[in-house]
Amino acid sequence: MATTELRTEEMLLNVGPQHPSTHGVLRLVVKVDGEIIREATLVIGYLHRGTEKLAEDLQYTQIIPYTDRLDYLAAMINNHAIVNAVEQAMDLQVPERAEYLRVIVAELNRIASHLLFLGAYLLDLGAMSPFLYAFQERETITQMFNEISGARLTYNYMRVGGVKWDAPPGWIDKVRAYIPHFREKLKMYHNLVTGNEVFLGRVKGIGAYSQEKALGYGLSGINLRSTGFKWDIRRNKPYSIYDRFDFDIPVGKNGDCYDRYICHMMEMEESLKIVEKAVEQIQDGPVMGKAPKILRVPAGEYYASVEGAKGELGIYIVSDGKDKPYRFKLRRPSFINLQILPELMEGQNVANMIAILGAVDIVLGEVDA
Amino acid sequence: MTEANENKQTTTADTEAAPVEAADKPAAPVKTAAAKPAAAAKPPVEESPETIAKRAEAQKRLDEMKAILEDKFGEGALEETGLQKFQPTLVIKPEYWLPVVTYLAHDESLTFNYPECFAGTDYPAKGFIEVALYLYSMSNGRFITVKVRTPRDNAEVDSLCSVFEGANWEEREIYDLLGVNFKGHPNLVRIMMDDDYKGHPLRKDFSVWEQQ
Repeated sequence: MATTELRTEEMLLNVGPQHPSTHGVLRLVVKVDGEIIREATLVIGYLHRGTEKLAEDLQYTQIIPYTDRLDYLAAMINNHAIVNAVEQAMDLQVPERAEYLRVIVAELNRIASHLLFLGAYLLDLGAMSPFLYAFQERETITQMFNEISGARLTYNYMRVGGVKWDAPPGWIDKVRAYIPHFREKLKMYHNLVTGNEVFLGRVKGIGAYSQEKALGYGLSGINLRSTGFKWDIRRNKPYSIYDRFDFDIPVGKNGDCYDRYICHMMEMEESLKIVEKAVEQIQDGPVMGKAPKILRVPAGEYYASVEGAKGELGIYIVSDGKDKPYRFKLRRPSFINLQILPELMEGQNVANMIAILGAVDIVLGEVDA
Repeated sequence: MTEANENKQTTTADTEAAPVEAADKPAAPVKTAAAKPAAAAKPPVEESPETIAKRAEAQKRLDEMKAILEDKFGEGALEETGLQKFQPTLVIKPEYWLPVVTYLAHDESLTFNYPECFAGTDYPAKGFIEVALYLYSMSNGRFITVKVRTPRDNAEVDSLCSVFEGANWEEREIYDLLGVNFKGHPNLVRIMMDDDYKGHPLRKDFSVWEQQ
């Protein structure tokens, strides 16, 4: 029997932009050698709407709804980023109750965003049921946001100087009742997923990178913390009233997909702690402070950031003293975090491609701005 | 479940980022003279001692950085220095851009190893495009902004890809939207707009309405 040499050939595989597991319109061009990825190229920009250019033609209050459409899974935090940046630039003061409402909705939104990560990630890995459980709880939060802001996804809730509406009667009690309920659910998620042998096999040791790599790429949020680096804007550059709350910053060790998963899970617990304290401390009072009708940021350059659901969400404003920004730049964590992906994919099995992409946790609305 | 408990590395960080120095805390609740809204012309309020102290602190750090860089690269390396609110800002001459940032990132006592934010701004009235880079030192908690200016009609700046891997996409974005050519960039192609797109949308002379 003559042995014939097996002929191998590299193949170019196109994934997306319309593919359910790319979480939006991300296109991946991967060069595969059999089952092994040799090179991956990312193509983005399909959702580019020119938010930064549009903002130059809008007053500061008018920009707020545009921020809703960046990371549309955590629009409350996006709102917080812009109002916080303008307030810091103008030295405005925000009433206590408004600050507490902001923190409550921002942290609930972080939970909702992480729940979506949990559901969608497990769906990527082939597990259907966690998605349904996660969305059930996310729905409750969405309903609460609907009550307080009138929208389920694009809230447009915060204003420079406060928030648009006070919580409706009974809303705070609803949040209070939700906390123990969600704690129980979190335990269930851990039982369902965290110890699962198949799941662990798919995520442990996959897509790992070092701390130096993460810093050089400018990663932030869970993508940086999963390497063991303790960095959270809420703690390291406190804004709003985050210095009043006692919470841990969960960090990983190996920087792999498993650590990123477990950091998401633990952060939900920490967010619950913050919400719990906030509903305890919140007092009656006004929700809108003294802010001029037409906001004019004094001429100069400003940069302020908040801890978004995906990482450091920064706003860089150049103002020439007019009512519109001269330049409005968004430091979008998803955009920066995504950049490390080709490096993680090299040499990996094709089956791991989606596992690695899913764990980076991006939102294409934020990547493309 | 046991697996999960083992892996709850709640607070055991290998590295802990240094806390931010006092000057970076949220701005003190005072109205500065500049923050005068036209609608309700308020009298300029005197600055609180806290703000003055914060500014002095920032100024001290700026002078420190200025001295370090002038000592290393000579007086010609810096174009301008100043404070933006409380952020020390140094404008570097284009020919020193790459060596200065490399030095800031790799020097053992400075270690500005975290590129926090890249931003490009077009100033047609002044005739240049400015690239700003917010740097953070994770080991000693310091932060600065470095900037470089390049003429609008022949915008060219050295690429920082050799210093920060994260500079790759950020520079592509600035190239795409502002038309700054980054010398030495490994893959300088458009990132947001189509490959065959003409023009750079974030330039001030680009009108959204004329593009129909």
